[in-house]
Amino acid sequence: MKRILPFVIILLVLGIAIGSAMYLKQAASNPTPLANASPATNTTSPATEPVNNANLPPGAQPPWVLGPATAPVTLEEFGDFECPPCGLLHPILLQMRREFGDKIRLIFRENPIVPNHQHALAAASSAEAAGNQGKFWEMHDLLYENQKTWHEAFDVRPIFEGYAKQIGLDLERFKQDVNSDQVAKRITDDGIRGRAMGVKGTPTVFMNGHEVPFEQLPAEKLRVVIKKELGEQ
Amino acid sequence: MSVDRAAGTIREEANPAVQRSTKLYIATAVISLVGLADAIYLAIQHITGESVRCTIVSGCSEVLSSPYAVMFGTPLAEIGAAAYFSVFSLATLAAFGYRIAGHLLLALVLVMCGTSLWLIYLQAFVIRHFCQYCLLSAAVTFMLTILMFLTKRTRVNSSQ
Repeated sequence: MKRILPFVIILLVLGIAIGSAMYLKQAASNPTPLANASPATNTTSPATEPVNNANLPPGAQPPWVLGPATAPVTLEEFGDFECPPCGLLHPILLQMRREFGDKIRLIFRENPIVPNHQHALAAASSAEAAGNQGKFWEMHDLLYENQKTWHEAFDVRPIFEGYAKQIGLDLERFKQDVNSDQVAKRITDDGIRGRAMGVKGTPTVFMNGHEVPFEQLPAEKLRVVIKKELGEQ
Repeated sequence: MSVDRAAGTIREEANPAVQRSTKLYIATAVISLVGLADAIYLAIQHITGESVRCTIVSGCSEVLSSPYAVMFGTPLAEIGAAAYFSVFSLATLAAFGYRIAGHLLLALVLVMCGTSLWLIYLQAFVIRHFCQYCLLSAAVTFMLTILMFLTKRTRVNSSQ
């Protein structure tokens, strides 16, 4: 018995290790339903009915939206302009907009990862300040498309002010708004909503209230997920 | 000292040095389980792509999405999990008197220690971000290395 005991122990640990790995993989692959979602929506398949999110913090009001309110699919992204995967997701979401047109609606929520990303808050503030002059999405696009340029910069203020000029903003107002309480409150409100929805990192995308697993965010997979939600597949 | 011919091992239960090294091997096996759990968690994060996401948890997304997180096409975390499981297996066998397992264990832990030092260098000077799960793994490996040296010293002292 003593001779086979070490092998029994080793096999037992191997079994537990494989079982734990499979459980963790399964848990990580499943979409996370909203914290306050009704039990009916607490499924692992993409949502087909609206989630009751009346109890959730609303986030910044009004939110930054692209697409009609009547769109059957709403993608709500919690993003950080300095986060490289968010930068990679940016053209994918634009592509989805081109492909699905008015069938999808995009909402962007600020979720700067501070202090890991030293310029993330300044970038979020710049986008919000541009939004005060009706140019949120223009600044949003510039920040993502030039992420690698400003990410390594020591001082990003002149760079962001350059973007503000480029999209035709009133620079003095932009400079004031970047440091305003109103902009800070919008970012905070989005963060509060994100925490309530279980956002732990960026990018996190919710489709009609259900989190789209990170591994399904590449264009070819996201397209399938959206088509399923639209009942086209 | 008794010879267990059936198992092909030499048993030295009466020797206090052997008893001490057995305890050290048991400690090695237990500590390696911490490393195994850590490596499995990191491997799952890598497989599901969660490691690439930017999180409040400092540094892990930068470290785990770097090219250094993959070796020979295999995520380093999976290699780590296999290494920690090997440490557990060898330490368990060594604790039960399989001396060859003790020698293999020492070699394996030294390789892991060298790899950990290299990975800390990469995090500090190349990637310039630290991932606490990777640091936990390095800490476990360093503890295993200390245990291996204590075991070796016990063996050397007993043979003098």
